[in-house]
Amino acid sequence: MPYDAMDELSDESLLVRYAGGDAVAARVLMARLAPRILAQATRRLGIRAEAEDVTQEAMLRLWKVAPRWEPGSARVSTWLYRVVANLCTDRQRRTRGVALSAVAEPVDPAAGVEERMQDDARAEALRAALARLPARQREAVELRHIDGLANPEIAEIMDTGIEAVESLIARGKRTLAADLSQRKDELGYTDGSQ
Amino acid sequence: MAANDDQRDLDVFFEAARERTPVPSAALLARIAADADATQAGFGVRAHARRSSGRLRQFLDALGGWPAAAGLAAATLAGMWIGFDPPGDLEARARDALDLVQNPHVIDIMPGTGLDLIGEASL
Repeated sequence: MPYDAMDELSDESLLVRYAGGDAVAARVLMARLAPRILAQATRRLGIRAEAEDVTQEAMLRLWKVAPRWEPGSARVSTWLYRVVANLCTDRQRRTRGVALSAVAEPVDPAAGVEERMQDDARAEALRAALARLPARQREAVELRHIDGLANPEIAEIMDTGIEAVESLIARGKRTLAADLSQRKDELGYTDGSQ
Repeated sequence: MAANDDQRDLDVFFEAARERTPVPSAALLARIAADADATQAGFGVRAHARRSSGRLRQFLDALGGWPAAAGLAAATLAGMWIGFDPPGDLEARARDALDLVQNPHVIDIMPGTGLDLIGEASL
């Protein structure tokens, strides 16, 4: 099956194909999952090199579990999020703290200098405000609004109900809005329409 | 609706954060792909072993199972043994067998009916 056609298969279908010897399925899974894992690990650890190590380790565990994967037992993305969370926790315990220094971020070459600086400031302000949220609210808001996951998947990852996820996100966003509104003028709060 | 406005304004911040989501480097992807290939190679060894035992089983089933295969093996070995170390009168035995083919003994099971003349009539 060509790469493009495989792009429509579920994570689980691709994993089963990989276990059956399909190397292309692994490439599709990697392209789909590695960015999310790296983003999650980077948010937790703050150091690019550490986040890359965790990403590689998490994907290796996925490759190894493939022959034993029971279809329908769990979502692959849910399983991976928990693996990444545990790997990050282990690393944080070993290093005793998280480096909050800026990570090298991709820069939009089409954006002007001022716009890029303002986007950098907004991203940093949001990161700092998220860090002040209770852990569960922060996780729910990040999974929804940065990773773009749907509430049912977030509920599975966080091992809770959908209503609880909605409540966590609502409370988290209220707190973020109040926190960031104090820097409205500095951060150019709107999208420039005002 | 100031609170709702503030929450809508959050979208600008979320957008900035999403744009700064790190992208896996080519080197990282190459390492992950190498891990995938190496791990998959281990699946192939186990799968090949399973496929080989499956083909052997199919072959034995076609012969009629292990007993038939054992009989075939015994016959093969016997043939090889005779070829390497034939009995002394093998040639004489072969001639006798050939003679039987060319000159079959006719047994008249119904004397008086002339059945023994059928072969001659067809010539």
